[in-house]
Amino acid sequence: MNPLQARELVIDIPGRSSGQPLNFTVGPGEIWGVLGPNGVGKTTLLHTLAGLRPPRSGSVHLGGHSLVEWKRRQVSQQLGLVFQDRQDGFPATVLETALIGRHPWLSPWQMESAEDVGKARAALEALDVGQLRDRLVNTLSGGERQRVAIATVLTQSPDTWLLDEPTNHLDLHHQVAVLGLLRARARKGCSVFMCLHDLNLAARWCDHILLLFPGGEACWGESRQMLVPGALERLYGQKLRTAEIDGAPVFVPAGNSDPQSS
Amino acid sequence: MPGYSRALAVLAALSLVCMALSVSVGSASLSVGDTFAVLTGTGTPIQQTLVLELRLPRTLTGFATGGLLAVAGALMQVLLRNPLADPYVLGLSGGAAVGALLAMMAGVAGAVVSGSAFAGALLATFLVFGLAHGTGSWTPSRLLLTGVVVAAGWGALIALILAMSPARQLPGMLYWLMGDLSPAANPVPGLILLTLVCLLVFPLGRSLNVLARGPMQAAALGVSVRPLEWTIYILASLLTATAVTMAGSVGFVGLVVPHMLRLVLGNDQRLILPACAMAGGSLLVLADTLARVVIAPEQLPVGVITALLGVPTFLYLLYRSR
Amino acid sequence: MSSVVIPGTATAREATVRLADVSLVTVVALLLLLAGRAEAVCVEDDQHRTVCVDGPARRLVSLSPGATELLFSAGAGGQVTAVSAWSDYPPQAANLPRVGDSNRLDLEAIVTLEPDLVVAWVDGNSATQLGKIEALGIPVFWLQPRTFTDIASAVERLALLTGHEDIGAARAADFLAAMAELRNRYRDVPPVRVFYQVWHQPLMTINDDELIGRAIRLCGGDNVFGHLPRLVPRLSTEAVLEANPDAIITGGEDREDRRWLDQWQRFPELKAVAVDNLFLVSPSLIQRPTLRMLEGSEQLCQVLEQARARL
Repeated sequence: MNPLQARELVIDIPGRSSGQPLNFTVGPGEIWGVLGPNGVGKTTLLHTLAGLRPPRSGSVHLGGHSLVEWKRRQVSQQLGLVFQDRQDGFPATVLETALIGRHPWLSPWQMESAEDVGKARAALEALDVGQLRDRLVNTLSGGERQRVAIATVLTQSPDTWLLDEPTNHLDLHHQVAVLGLLRARARKGCSVFMCLHDLNLAARWCDHILLLFPGGEACWGESRQMLVPGALERLYGQKLRTAEIDGAPVFVPAGNSDPQSS
Repeated sequence: MPGYSRALAVLAALSLVCMALSVSVGSASLSVGDTFAVLTGTGTPIQQTLVLELRLPRTLTGFATGGLLAVAGALMQVLLRNPLADPYVLGLSGGAAVGALLAMMAGVAGAVVSGSAFAGALLATFLVFGLAHGTGSWTPSRLLLTGVVVAAGWGALIALILAMSPARQLPGMLYWLMGDLSPAANPVPGLILLTLVCLLVFPLGRSLNVLARGPMQAAALGVSVRPLEWTIYILASLLTATAVTMAGSVGFVGLVVPHMLRLVLGNDQRLILPACAMAGGSLLVLADTLARVVIAPEQLPVGVITALLGVPTFLYLLYRSR
Repeated sequence: MSSVVIPGTATAREATVRLADVSLVTVVALLLLLAGRAEAVCVEDDQHRTVCVDGPARRLVSLSPGATELLFSAGAGGQVTAVSAWSDYPPQAANLPRVGDSNRLDLEAIVTLEPDLVVAWVDGNSATQLGKIEALGIPVFWLQPRTFTDIASAVERLALLTGHEDIGAARAADFLAAMAELRNRYRDVPPVRVFYQVWHQPLMTINDDELIGRAIRLCGGDNVFGHLPRLVPRLSTEAVLEANPDAIITGGEDREDRRWLDQWQRFPELKAVAVDNLFLVSPSLIQRPTLRMLEGSEQLCQVLEQARARL
């Protein structure tokens, strides 16, 4: 397994000054959460790590070699990306959509085999959308489409998962199911790197956190060390109240109307 | 995947039937027996000329043209991710038309008109390529807009040529613009190109499917998006230029056939593209047969029939699929 | 004004009858003129409208090459102030100012010339545009000669309108007499099956009602597509092969242009190609409905004689 590594990485957002260079490695079995306010560049970071956008400076490495040294096909066998926005392409069924996840594994002359179809169907079942497999994707609800997108990457079964707000549109039950699935993948040796807007999900499910501050600073490390109220309040510009449930911290915005102000 | 062979076999059979019909039907009545006799080497000299030198080349040209246009239309729709795209949307037929009409106005002979049309089509391709490419950030909508504007420009030139030509040249020009198979074109280059493209579809097909889901998604799955898009563009342009050179700007086939097939066969380009080749070819051959027969011994330009056939068929299929 | 041409002596009789009609009108008009009053001259045009001019028209504008020739034939050449494009016959017309072409007329130029009469062509000019001319008080005389009698009548009526009755009547009579003589000469010859090619792409021909078709008939030819309903049908090559004419005649695209005929060489099984009955005729003589149709018909008849000999 080739771990994903950022070396002195500065992402490129046109019109914005460079942020702090990022240096981290997403090791096997690790689940990373990226936290930061809207517009700070979480999606751009994800796309840069996936090789879809060039960085402003620094580099992204897979297993010690820079991304640009790898063939595209090999990269997509190791890196999978769940996008935040659904791009509306041509209409296709749910099964067809999941099946494109097998593209990096098939040579141009190969047709999808029954085994490939089986993998796609299994992935759809795992995301609880198996029964929708012959439906057209654009007739699905937001949550269903999100799960199809995740199933596509599951079909792709890369070693490293990059996810952009995977719990958007999902109800509580499916949020837990998806994160549980990701934890199961991590236990098998995959790495997970996801952007989350929900602080508490990150606190509960991620073992490493990357904080992207509005000014361009960043810090990263184990969750224990990153999830301190001071840093988080600075991150979101919002006073927080902390509690602990089942051994994991829970953060709640402190409102002015809170009768129990201390 | 198993359904693919069946669908393609059905379309292949349809193609053969349509071609057989086209060769045996015309303003001169020839029985099936006579046609068969000619094809096996016997028959009167006039019958032989009729079938081998007039109808067979015309049928083959019609098949090649229809196939090329349908495949080009399907490719354009993937490239622009727009189901309303047709092969002419980027101004290709306009450039070819200007080339052809200028040649006609100058009073030159048939081969020069075809060559001029091809040159015009290539010029249109490079023009749009250059304009859309030069500005850095390239998206399908930018290509589409550039193409539409350039097409309008060609349209203006065509109107100018029509306005300035002597009246006796107008019927010829109008027939070219509507799409006409009667100028005896050579079907061989078109057929070869069509076959090559259908073979090329297999290695490219799945990438096209992935590309059709969205460029970012495709890039994330390992598709080299930009090179693939330019390949599709050049290919579609070459197909359209060849088709237009053979038969003028026949409308509707490139828009309606890919649509119809997608409604019935799904979205796998590896099936759709060869299916388009055969269905488009069959449609055009059928339309041309009608064009030759409906007011025999007079004949209509084939483009008129494709429009009249294409619209209700498409509406019917849309209605059925709801 | 058009009448169905019946081959044989009936036409000569009919021609004589038409001659009588018009001569009567001429006489009446002359009497009226002699009566000393400057009466308006009123004549019926080919749209069945009565067109009147005050006294003979002195300033004329012709809007088609055919109309130009007919005006000159009527003796009114000196009164033509402007013509449409392509008016190249007679040579004097080539020097006259142009006012546009078919439905791209320069209305301002026409109006500025202050014509007494505008002569228009039904199959060429736009009725809407000429409606404007008429609204400005300028009379428009529409022509649409469909038979040889129509051509003669057109010459006579134009002569009436322009004060050259005698010339017009004489020329019309000569034309009809010569055509009748031509018809008599070729009345009993064996027919030659003819395909007349008007254009190559689309492939166009004419039917029996068209003037060229009538000329073919007069010369003892049988137009293989004469029976078709349209005046100028668009055919497929196949139809020509099936009809297998004895002779193929065309005016070509340009003067002395045998390209279209050479293209028929691709089909050596065609009778016309086998006996080399591929003929070029002078287009301006035969494709214009003017008095030169006489020469055109004579040329056509000679061509058919050659064809007949080779069969």
